[in-house]
Amino acid sequence: MKQSLISRGVLILAITAIAVFMAFPPSVKVKRGLDLQGGMHLVLEVKTDDAIRSETNHDADTLLERLAEDKELPGLTAQRPSKGDADVARFTVSGVPSDRGADVRAIYKKFLQDRWDLAQNGADFVFAMRDSVERKLRDEAVGQARRTIRNRIDQYGVSEPVIQRQGFADSDRLVLQLPGVEDPERVKSLIGRTAFLEWKLAIYPRGGGFSLSREDVLANLGGSIPADVEILEGVQRDLNGNDIGTQYVAVERRPVITGRDLKTARVGPGQFNEPVVIFVLDYQKGQEFGEMTKNNIGRGMAVVLDNRVLTAPTINGQIFEQGNIQGSFDPEEAADLATSLKSGALPAEITFLEERTVGPSLGQDSVEQGLRAGLLGAGLVVVAMLIIYLLAGVNAILVLTLNIVFVFGALAAFGATLTLPGIAGIILTIGMAVDANVLIFERIREELRAGRTVKAAVASGFGKALSSIIDANVTTLIAAVFLFQFGTGPIRGFAVTLSIGILASVFTAVFVSRWVFDLWLSRNQRVERLYI
Amino acid sequence: MQFLTDTKIDFMRYRSALTVVSVALIAAGLLYVFVLGKLNIGIDFAGGTQVRLQFQEQPDLDRVRSVLNEAGFPSALIQRLGEVEANEVLIRTATVEGSEEGSSDALLEAIDQTFNSGLEAATDINRQGSDAVARLLSRLDPEGFGAQDPGVIEVPEAYQTAADAILDLRRRDGMIKTWDDLEGIDGISPAILGSLKENTHIGDLAILAVENVGPQIGNELKQRGIWAVALSLLGMLGYIWLRFELRFGVGAVVAIFHDVAITLGLYAFGGYEFNVTTIAAFLTLVGYSVNDTVVVFDRVRENMRRYRREPLVKLLNTSINQTLSRTIMTSGTTLLVVLTLFLFGGDVLRGFAFILLIGIVVGTYSSIYVASPVVLLWEKYFGREARIERAKAR
Repeated sequence: MKQSLISRGVLILAITAIAVFMAFPPSVKVKRGLDLQGGMHLVLEVKTDDAIRSETNHDADTLLERLAEDKELPGLTAQRPSKGDADVARFTVSGVPSDRGADVRAIYKKFLQDRWDLAQNGADFVFAMRDSVERKLRDEAVGQARRTIRNRIDQYGVSEPVIQRQGFADSDRLVLQLPGVEDPERVKSLIGRTAFLEWKLAIYPRGGGFSLSREDVLANLGGSIPADVEILEGVQRDLNGNDIGTQYVAVERRPVITGRDLKTARVGPGQFNEPVVIFVLDYQKGQEFGEMTKNNIGRGMAVVLDNRVLTAPTINGQIFEQGNIQGSFDPEEAADLATSLKSGALPAEITFLEERTVGPSLGQDSVEQGLRAGLLGAGLVVVAMLIIYLLAGVNAILVLTLNIVFVFGALAAFGATLTLPGIAGIILTIGMAVDANVLIFERIREELRAGRTVKAAVASGFGKALSSIIDANVTTLIAAVFLFQFGTGPIRGFAVTLSIGILASVFTAVFVSRWVFDLWLSRNQRVERLYI
Repeated sequence: MQFLTDTKIDFMRYRSALTVVSVALIAAGLLYVFVLGKLNIGIDFAGGTQVRLQFQEQPDLDRVRSVLNEAGFPSALIQRLGEVEANEVLIRTATVEGSEEGSSDALLEAIDQTFNSGLEAATDINRQGSDAVARLLSRLDPEGFGAQDPGVIEVPEAYQTAADAILDLRRRDGMIKTWDDLEGIDGISPAILGSLKENTHIGDLAILAVENVGPQIGNELKQRGIWAVALSLLGMLGYIWLRFELRFGVGAVVAIFHDVAITLGLYAFGGYEFNVTTIAAFLTLVGYSVNDTVVVFDRVRENMRRYRREPLVKLLNTSINQTLSRTIMTSGTTLLVVLTLFLFGGDVLRGFAFILLIGIVVGTYSSIYVASPVVLLWEKYFGREARIERAKAR
């Protein structure tokens, strides 16, 4: 008996010590959710269709180019997926002369066979991307988007960001947790920008600059837009950097260089000490760029970001690896653009499916209010227990304290996150934790009233209450488990604290309480009265 | 202190009268929620945008409404939050047709245009994070640490400290009201303050929270909510079925239904928002309700073994009486903490606390007056004696 008392005491002490060690100080050891510390939670979807479509276009181009050059079969066109089409992994080459089918097949065998299936339908050759290839491309697109976003976030400077794929491995979604982010619009535009940068030679106005109307550009192109030309829009700004309208420029569809050719980008001071983005090309591209600019001095060149023209300067001299972009930026804009250029373009557009941002003050308020409600609630419960169960109520206080220590210890040990609903869960378990004790105490009282000795009453009180305690708590635990399974972040926090609270309350009531009673009884062999 | 010991209340005597009350309340609740459709479905499930703002001065809500109307949010829900002097406003809008994303950006822009003067200054210290303010300060360099290349993002410590001090102030008060708030704050030197006054402005409104839930996510949350509820109900039923006889299981289920229906009705009546947290609250309520019922049934089971000859009505009565002080005690302590949560836990958790507050009262009542009478009813129509009667009649 003595032996068991000591060993049980040591066990309880050890568990408590571990919990305290784990959880103390809780403000450092326990991870707080974004709803408590402030920050941004984002779920975004990578539009992997974009990546597939661009691959389809690329391969269609390759096919047509090879047919034209290797097989002397120019002028063929391919029907390709356009934006919004459901089937992005398919293109059709039609109008192939009946005697040239073999040439198409030969090129297909040489360049596309490993990734595409070919079906012939009269003069139409239908190319369909293999499923495995498509899946791999989508997967890569999400992976690349994740790395790119990670880069941008890191350069923006967020401490402990979490960026992961949501749910299953083949999901197109990324979940971002950005603690302490307070400027949601800016972060969203930084993350969400595709940042696909292109330099395109101007057609009209040929010498650089913009036209103020689309009609004017169209008229100068001769009324219709040639296949290799496009009209792009840009934002017109006044001297203070305010948007004052839209302006237009016609450019060659094929870019001279793109963001992929960049080695790095940074912000630097321009001619008038205004912020500009300085870019550096890799050596090879730098040489090509030098050649191209030499041949086109005096001509305009549009700098196009995500299909919008930033600026359309005139080429004044030869430019090799290094140049700069002047876009009447404000300093933050310039910094963000440099950041997104440096981190590379996103492989596809992204959309923000879900955003939850909590400002710094709201989180702080929540913590304070939760703490206040929790302390007050615990105080009231303690008073009630003391009034009703006298000395045994002291036991309940011990149990409550341990319960809270265990909950925080477990939260810290499992790296679980404390959220606002999680705080509610803890407060709730404060109320429910005494339940198991109440069941036991009431049972002991009953046994005492039935005329049993104190010792017998305690033993049978614990014994008989056990089945009720287990039954009552298992049902709540079942609810908590499914909540965890299906819940989102904050709710998971609730499920976790509730589960831990339930387990801790059963442990403290059945094991710790019992030990306290036994200890009390062992000090005096003939206890005649129990202050319960 | 002992109370309610050896009570001999004949609970079951009043069961018919109280059944009428219960049925009426359930019917009222279901009617209100499902027929009249009065449940306030939040953006978690409906999709949409919810923005919580703090203003310097109490904004004219009619003006807010007209601004949002013009910006393309005619059905926006606008309400004051907390005390009047807190100047907090909550705006909720549905998802714009055909959009996959929320519309907080457009909404905030519209509000900013009308209510936030001095937008032309690039930096609003009530909006920008501490990093942005620190970088701005190092560019302006009021302390004269030396010219900063705009490309270098190295921030002198003094500026970071100043920016953090501003953030701390916002964390405490929600927003900065006047420049006097920054006067004499540790880390903000007169030079820095002067530079801030010149180059930044104090925005007229602060964003406390923004939530955008796209329709796709809303639907998924709905699905997941339904699964969570369905599976945990099944799980609990399975457990009760395993541990008790069928009739007790039926009693517990009817009690759950009773508690949820009545609480849901009152929740809707109170105008609280139905969101993901609400699901958690209801599942907790279900767990609690079952918990209470199980304790009574546990005792019934024990008594059945001991007094085999007693009629079921008497056994139920005895068991309820025996567990009464425990029932009151546990409900009491839980009610205490839930009440503090309701009163002092802040408005995010108020709806959550409300459900448990009502749920505990109703759940305690139902473990006495719903679960047990149902067991009796079941016994009457499907029990052993009823079967014997039927066999005789045949």
